Amino acid sequence: MFLRLVADSFTRRPKRKMLTLAALALGMAVATAALSVSLDVGDRLAQEFRSLGANLMVTPEADSLPLEIGGVDYRPANAGAYLPEADLGKLKTIFWRFNIMAFAPILEVPVEAWSPARKNWSSPGVVDRSTLIGTWSDHSVPIPDGTTYQTGIEKTNPWWHVEGRWFKEGEDECLVGAAFAKKFGVKPGDVLNVRANDRTGWKGLKVVGIVSTGGPEENAVVASLAVAQSLAETPGKYRRLYVSALTKPEDAFARKDPKTMTPAEYDTWYCTPYISSIALQIGEELKGTDVRVIRRVAEGEGTILTRVRTLLWLVTFAALLAAALAVGASAAASVIERRTEIGLMKALGAGSGLVGVLLAAEQLLVAFVGGGIGYSVGILLARLLGQKIFGFTPEPKLFLLFIVLLLASLITLLGSAYPLRRASQYDPAPILRGE
Amino acid sequence: MADSSMFWRIVRRLITANYGRLFVILLALGAGAAITSALLNLQIDAKRRLTTEFRALGANVIVAPRDANANSGGGTLDQSLLAQLPTENAGKPVPAVAFLYVIGAVAKVGEIHHEAAVIAGTEGQGLTKVRPGRRTDYSAELENDPLACELGAKAAAQFKVHAGDSLHLRNQGREATCKVFAVVATGGAEDTQIFTKLPTAQTLAELPGRISLVQLSVTGTPDSIDSFIKSLSQRLPVADVHGIKQLAEAEGKLYNRISGLLSTTVIIVLLLTSLCVMAGMSNVAIERKNDVGLMKAIGGSVRRVVRLFLAEAILMGIVGGIIGSAFGIVGSIWLGKAVFGVAAQPRWIVYPVSVGITIIVSIASAFPLRRLASVRPANVFRGEA
Repeated sequence: MFLRLVADSFTRRPKRKMLTLAALALGMAVATAALSVSLDVGDRLAQEFRSLGANLMVTPEADSLPLEIGGVDYRPANAGAYLPEADLGKLKTIFWRFNIMAFAPILEVPVEAWSPARKNWSSPGVVDRSTLIGTWSDHSVPIPDGTTYQTGIEKTNPWWHVEGRWFKEGEDECLVGAAFAKKFGVKPGDVLNVRANDRTGWKGLKVVGIVSTGGPEENAVVASLAVAQSLAETPGKYRRLYVSALTKPEDAFARKDPKTMTPAEYDTWYCTPYISSIALQIGEELKGTDVRVIRRVAEGEGTILTRVRTLLWLVTFAALLAAALAVGASAAASVIERRTEIGLMKALGAGSGLVGVLLAAEQLLVAFVGGGIGYSVGILLARLLGQKIFGFTPEPKLFLLFIVLLLASLITLLGSAYPLRRASQYDPAPILRGE
Repeated sequence: MADSSMFWRIVRRLITANYGRLFVILLALGAGAAITSALLNLQIDAKRRLTTEFRALGANVIVAPRDANANSGGGTLDQSLLAQLPTENAGKPVPAVAFLYVIGAVAKVGEIHHEAAVIAGTEGQGLTKVRPGRRTDYSAELENDPLACELGAKAAAQFKVHAGDSLHLRNQGREATCKVFAVVATGGAEDTQIFTKLPTAQTLAELPGRISLVQLSVTGTPDSIDSFIKSLSQRLPVADVHGIKQLAEAEGKLYNRISGLLSTTVIIVLLLTSLCVMAGMSNVAIERKNDVGLMKAIGGSVRRVVRLFLAEAILMGIVGGIIGSAFGIVGSIWLGKAVFGVAAQPRWIVYPVSVGITIIVSIASAFPLRRLASVRPANVFRGEA
């Protein structure tokens, strides 16, 4: 009889129940979407910040001071120390190897350049001084465990825009900076002749693109590391390495000096992807280097990320609160409208307790169905929102379904509790009389 | 006018007929208004605050000589240019620091061996803002000395100096000394440089009154920074004003994402609120069948009946909105403190806007009452609901 009554209330007035169900499903859909977006977006946001570029710089430990002004090193080519390119695969063997998003070695060579394309009767192939930046565009690095890893300056410096295409690794191709191209009148397809000194002789590079960076690279030539090494006569060497690592924002603990930590603290610190611990691990692998944290990027990233995460949870909480209110109100409404029925049941001898249980069972059923529908709709909504705002799709999480169902039953019961209590106190007579 | 007083009397009766229901609807409207106004206020504040936070990234605009040729050492600008720069953008101060770079030979006083290093003369407000980094070994009382200088961490290690030590600087026969007041670690090229006061570098370079470039840290939305750069480059035809692309792109991207997220949430919360009120109202519609039947039976037109209910909805929207929005704004001040560490400034424009939105939501959710137009008095009186 109990089950029949419950079933009856659904089949008798399906339209009314649909409304409550819809409200519940919508509320829970929002809750699911908000939760799954904010659960996933934390990692995603950290990756987003990598568009700021590298946050670690590796230079030789024993080195003369670079004479760098506006990104150009004025040291003679033979001054200063170099690092071996062959070691770079070790970067992907450190404890936090999966947090190393990209890296690119740099070797700058002061060069003389001239282009036959510019040669005409008025300016017969003027030779100008410039800088050639040797780096990786999209290089496959052999890792000591036998695999390879694709990385390069495209990934560490995503704000570099290339008109044309990137140079191919190992080819005699190059990109020219936008300002350089304007000044020299070279365009993709032309040949640019470069040499580092009189001894090496001219090397012809095919211009394949024009790079705009907003930085000093606009006045330079960018080519593959191998080209720069052969020009500088330093095979297998580089001078500077940029590393882009995914890190945990620094907190008070991370700012402690590792030397003063207890062994337990040191282990915790070492096994947390703080920028400082990643820097230390890189230093352990690449011998003879000085790994420095690019403070402006690392710290800016840290503060903003912490703030945005708090904001995100707050917003999720607000959406949950609104969803709870909507669900609670519609639950309350669905009880209030059934006063006559309750009166009748009591007149026929049902106790307040039984009426309460009956209505609660009904509400729970609605909560489960609505919660289930809401979860599926919410997953779709989360995909849409994730794609639209963050350009990624959050993974559907099954444990969210349980949370949502729990939330839905809790809120519906809470929302119906007060009207149910009122209903159980109704005197059947006036209700049946229609007052 | 008896007509209008009757109208309001009925409205009053409608509202006060059932206190429980009135409470539920007002709670829904008020809570919706509170969340809306809190989020709206926080959204405006968060966007503004975010642009401020981005400045932890340092200088984002550079004023350099137009004919800058990096290879010939670069042209220079006149120092008076620093005074022509705007000191604020959109109400926020714009720190600007002029730099003059010289390559000189440097040694700790008393040492014979000199080593080449970049000496950067600086002048202007907010060096720590345009060049963020971590200062170690800082001694405040030495900072204002005209011969004070600050060393990058790598340079300090190279010359083995600490705060309080003196350095000897030399360039083509011109000499100067400076007293170290701080060591700074930035992780960039600055780590290897020596920052002196501008006159020291000008003497060494024999370029009195000249500077290499100016770095500015402009606070604002991506658009406002763009227009700042445009207006500045029009005002300074001798100079090339450009933004740092690395920061501009990342900032713009993040800013759009976060503000998109906030706006979406506000819309969702509003939708849910109206759903909430609609649930309450559909209840009202059922209860009022008898009333409407009676009204129609004694000659009330559908239009007047609907007007009655609309008046009721608007009144409830106003009351719920006024109370809820006030709570929301107070709440957002506290929330701002929780997120950004600084209390959010209440924006008064948010108040009327969120009250207005609540009223609109309340009217829209009175939609279920439309059913009442089709009530047939005879059916109601016969008891066939």
